[in-house]
Amino acid sequence: MMAAIFASLTAAWVAASLSRRDLSLMALALCLALSIWLFLFEIYSPEYGFRMPWIQTFLDGPGNAPT
Amino acid sequence: MIASRSFAGLNYAFSLAMAVVIAAILTTALVMQFGYGELPCPLCLLQRVAMFGIAFGAMQNFRGRFSYQNDGISLLFAVFLLIVASRQTLLDIYPRPGHEYIGTAILGLHMPVWSILIAAAALLAYAVKLVAIGGDSDLPFVPVAEFPAIKTTAGVVGAYLIALCAVNLVSVIVQCGFGECHTMGYKLLQ
Repeated sequence: MMAAIFASLTAAWVAASLSRRDLSLMALALCLALSIWLFLFEIYSPEYGFRMPWIQTFLDGPGNAPT
Repeated sequence: MIASRSFAGLNYAFSLAMAVVIAAILTTALVMQFGYGELPCPLCLLQRVAMFGIAFGAMQNFRGRFSYQNDGISLLFAVFLLIVASRQTLLDIYPRPGHEYIGTAILGLHMPVWSILIAAAALLAYAVKLVAIGGDSDLPFVPVAEFPAIKTTAGVVGAYLIALCAVNLVSVIVQCGFGECHTMGYKLLQ
């Protein structure tokens, strides 16, 4: 997947250098879409979902413990 | 019109400076990778993609005339960089097995934290630019050809960024193949 992202990014740069603006913007949009998908894939945990329980904090006191 | 021309010159110089700074940062990342053997993690690679996107928007202004659409591209990727870097910083902020800052700390800060600062600096720079000269409606009508020195330098920087992107593509294929990326080694060299 990362190879596809960098391939589309390189394609965008090359198309732009050849003055093919529409093609370069399409390649860049594809690159961004794949990047967002991979980012969500990388940060998703089957155990926690998108939560980050290791930085969960709570005030010390009765009734404030995490559930 | 004289003021517009000065503002246009400033505007093109800004885009060039943005591209040069991003190129320098991406070059440093490659030096750390190949010189010091620090393989980039998947989120680190996505941050490189975001930086290339910022530079792409800046360099597009040198294909004829300035356009706010190109600034929009840069801002889009700057926001993406900020999101990815923030999430990675939060992932590693509490060291635990499999999750800790990797790589060399520069001035005490690791790469994802630097990426947050870089994204914030880019957003701030664009905000200041838009406040300072964004109100000049003639900006898109002054071609870059009126500033030959900037145009020539931009050509060189653009070619360098394309080469940098191609090197990153080859490096990613060697490191990750066509599957998931890991920092244990170069997949195609094992």
